[in-house]
Amino acid sequence: MMDGMEDVLPSETNGTKSGRSDTVDLNDSTLQVDISDALSEREKVKFTVHTKTTLPDYAKPEFSVVRQHEEFIWLHDRFDENEDYAGYIIPPPPPRPDFDASREKLQKLGEGEGSMTKEEFSKMKQELEAEYLATFKKTVAMHEVFLTRLAQHTVFRNDHNFKVFLEYEQDLSVRTKNKKEKVEGLFKSFNKSTDEILLAATQKDVDDYFEREKTFLLEYHMAIKDATTKADKMTQAHKSVADSYIQLSSGLSQLGTIEGPRLEKFINKVADTFEKARKVEGRVSSDEDLKLSDTLRYYVRDGSAAKDLLYRRLRCLANYEQANKNLDRARAKNKDVHAAELAQQNACEKFEHISNKAKEELNDLKARRVTAFKKNLIELAELELKHAKAQAQLLKSCLQSLPEE
Amino acid sequence: MRLYLIVSASPSLCPGDNPQATHLPRAWAPLARPPPHGSRLTADLFSTNPGALKSPVSEQTTTPEDQRSPEDPLTPPPPAASLTPEPHNPGTPPDLFESVAEGPVVVQGGSPKLSSVPLDLPAGGNGGEGKQQEVSLEEEGDEPDIFDTMSSPKLQLNQAEGDGGDEFIQITVSDPQKIGDGMSSYMAYKVTTKTNVSYFRKKHWSVMRRFSDFLGLHRKLVEKHLHSGRVIPPAPEKSAIGTTKIKLGSDKNADSGSLDFIERRRAALERYMNRTSTHPTLRADPDFREFVELDAELPRATQTSALSSAGVLRLLNRVGETVNKMTFKMDESDQWFEERTQQIESLDAQLRKLHASMERLVNYRRELALSTAAFAKATAVLSSVEEHSSLSRALHQLSESTERTQTIHHAQADADFYVLSENTKDYIQLISAVKDVFHERVKTFQTWQHAQITLAKKREAKAKAELAGRMDKVQQAQEEVTEWEGKVERSQEEFERISRAIKKEMEQFDVMRVKDFRDMVIKYLEDLMTSQQQIIKVWETFIPEAKAIS
Repeated sequence: MMDGMEDVLPSETNGTKSGRSDTVDLNDSTLQVDISDALSEREKVKFTVHTKTTLPDYAKPEFSVVRQHEEFIWLHDRFDENEDYAGYIIPPPPPRPDFDASREKLQKLGEGEGSMTKEEFSKMKQELEAEYLATFKKTVAMHEVFLTRLAQHTVFRNDHNFKVFLEYEQDLSVRTKNKKEKVEGLFKSFNKSTDEILLAATQKDVDDYFEREKTFLLEYHMAIKDATTKADKMTQAHKSVADSYIQLSSGLSQLGTIEGPRLEKFINKVADTFEKARKVEGRVSSDEDLKLSDTLRYYVRDGSAAKDLLYRRLRCLANYEQANKNLDRARAKNKDVHAAELAQQNACEKFEHISNKAKEELNDLKARRVTAFKKNLIELAELELKHAKAQAQLLKSCLQSLPEE
Repeated sequence: MRLYLIVSASPSLCPGDNPQATHLPRAWAPLARPPPHGSRLTADLFSTNPGALKSPVSEQTTTPEDQRSPEDPLTPPPPAASLTPEPHNPGTPPDLFESVAEGPVVVQGGSPKLSSVPLDLPAGGNGGEGKQQEVSLEEEGDEPDIFDTMSSPKLQLNQAEGDGGDEFIQITVSDPQKIGDGMSSYMAYKVTTKTNVSYFRKKHWSVMRRFSDFLGLHRKLVEKHLHSGRVIPPAPEKSAIGTTKIKLGSDKNADSGSLDFIERRRAALERYMNRTSTHPTLRADPDFREFVELDAELPRATQTSALSSAGVLRLLNRVGETVNKMTFKMDESDQWFEERTQQIESLDAQLRKLHASMERLVNYRRELALSTAAFAKATAVLSSVEEHSSLSRALHQLSESTERTQTIHHAQADADFYVLSENTKDYIQLISAVKDVFHERVKTFQTWQHAQITLAKKREAKAKAELAGRMDKVQQAQEEVTEWEGKVERSQEEFERISRAIKKEMEQFDVMRVKDFRDMVIKYLEDLMTSQQQIIKVWETFIPEAKAIS
């Protein structure tokens, strides 16, 4: 079920192939994490997280636990809120498994069952089921990428929460936020964004590099978000074209039976060709989705995480400057100087630490992005080429085989 | 650059004729916007036919003109396009046939493809070219807007048909123009005819006609010929919305929706004219001849207006007929008719369904073209923002490749529409015309039945009168009996005549229909294949760019 998953994952791990079973060997102690199985129940998806490790802290060298999407989010939030990790880009959390679109389509198909022939119906059903399966595979892959990035990060892999996530056999009893907490969360994010804007407006960055990065990231983020939406629309349209071939094909075969012997063979060949062509078109659409849209989407999220990093740093800088001011004031009043000094020192250290880390992380992000794009664009182009050739060949052989009058 | 590509329709073949004479359905050569691209495109499609056709671009299958048997009503072939042999080569150029006869011409190049090209024949003939077929891709110079957006290939159908000899006639409808302003304005079209048929005065000329003229012609033809069992090709429909938009809109602001509408109508009118002219009986009809020949404005066919009294009358008639159709169940003694009627019905239903799915395909593909264009733009923006230079370059290339793909999709959508969808729609309408003819027969049967019943009544009346000894009444009754005996005889003859005529027409219709369908599908598949080949090229150029990211 997980085969071919490798294609889906953008090469995330600092240039190493992010295959399911490949990991980077760091410091001799390996920590391999993958999702070995997934079960889709009515509303939820249950992932089986499988870990293989030689790290001494873990109780067993190999074990599995079952996790749900909310628990992944919980893990992400733990990292996000951890001040020690302020200088790092936190890997973006996987998106919620969303089968609504597929379900809706399946429902519509069921409603329209009366108006189409049996074969048409079963073909469309097959298509939808394949779509459903593809969405499912994708969501599994997204969750896996998230975990793999954590596992391979020199600092994150040692995080206690991560260990708990991997090891703890019971449910983490992470309930989804209830209303109050959701409102709180909303509030927090609202605050955060206003703060962001405020800072962006008022806080001058001392470092040109970061100033530039910020501007770049903002612009880039908007552009890539836009590109992702458009890419999605495009792949959707492609899929619709492919699906409409189904009706064309079946309509033609029905026509063939009416027309009788004169045209029947001819028509049936053509109907068959359309059916085959549809499959190819469908693959074009799904490959575009995989290689293009998903890559773009991933970097939207990663870019978001980078923006968060920059924000944190800026906040830290603001705090640092504030601490400086406080120190000056304390010195002037000669009150609580020591405390203020300590505070200032803390703030200073924090800020420096963040800045350094951030620089590394941003460069890292850039390199990762370039590599991922390169790989996926090449694969996209090659796949498109392959499919176009297949279709051309298909049509050619159909034309050649059409019986002469 | 002006390239002309004319595809002529071959007349329907009499059965048993040279099987390789193929009818070219209307072909739509997807004209990509950039002319060179498009013309190259079609050039690839067609293998040049050396010899007879010195067309730079396409080759057309030959019209088996000399194979036309002098048989009578050949049903108007659907706009099949075939090469018209030079009119001055009555003995059909043998090379044409040879080339066609070569192997599976059907498939590659030599296949009976019709490449239609937007053809705008200059009124005075083509720059002194003696050839009747111009094969070139034409880009309308005069009205760049319309044709640029639509890149409409105008189909030329020519049929070589007739009784003996190489007759051919080719009609193009072009240059849609809006005459006048406001609600009293109308669209006029230039109808250009090229022919060597003897009873026409000239070989090549043009007239201006307005839309209602076309409808008037159709109406007259129906009045005169339907009851002889002929299948009269249906005229394009009126469309209140489309026309009003055009009437009220100004030329400059003609939006692409109106342009689309105009182009559809123009193409439909052309197909209509050519179908009608393929039918030798209809072609010889004086009204038809006047229509294509008269160098002045035709008397307004006011009766075609929907709101005129004649229009209302016609509507009522139609309603009456429909009721009649539904209620009168004919006692069908002829199994042939029984089977055919059923087949026609199911064909009709199935074609409609097919047409609906074709329209869906067209819409989706147009959507695809639009969304691809949007994506191309977004990628261009992304490329400009991207700071890594080689990635930026690659993204820029991606944007351009996608832009090109979009053009391909757009052209393919047009092909979907004009080759597949519109042709199928035409067929549905033709089937309608066939149903009309069948119904005529039913009506004559009704008349016959009615005459028989009346005759029986009259005989009864006479017998009664004889019994009652009313000599005066007997005389009158006798006269009536004789009268009605005559009527019965005549109506029976009429019925049998129309039945025979229909059978013959249907034979031709079938042959033509089958050919047309094949040709249409083949053309479409070829277009599809070409699109894919173009896509291949696009991606082949992109791959090295992607690989060059460092």
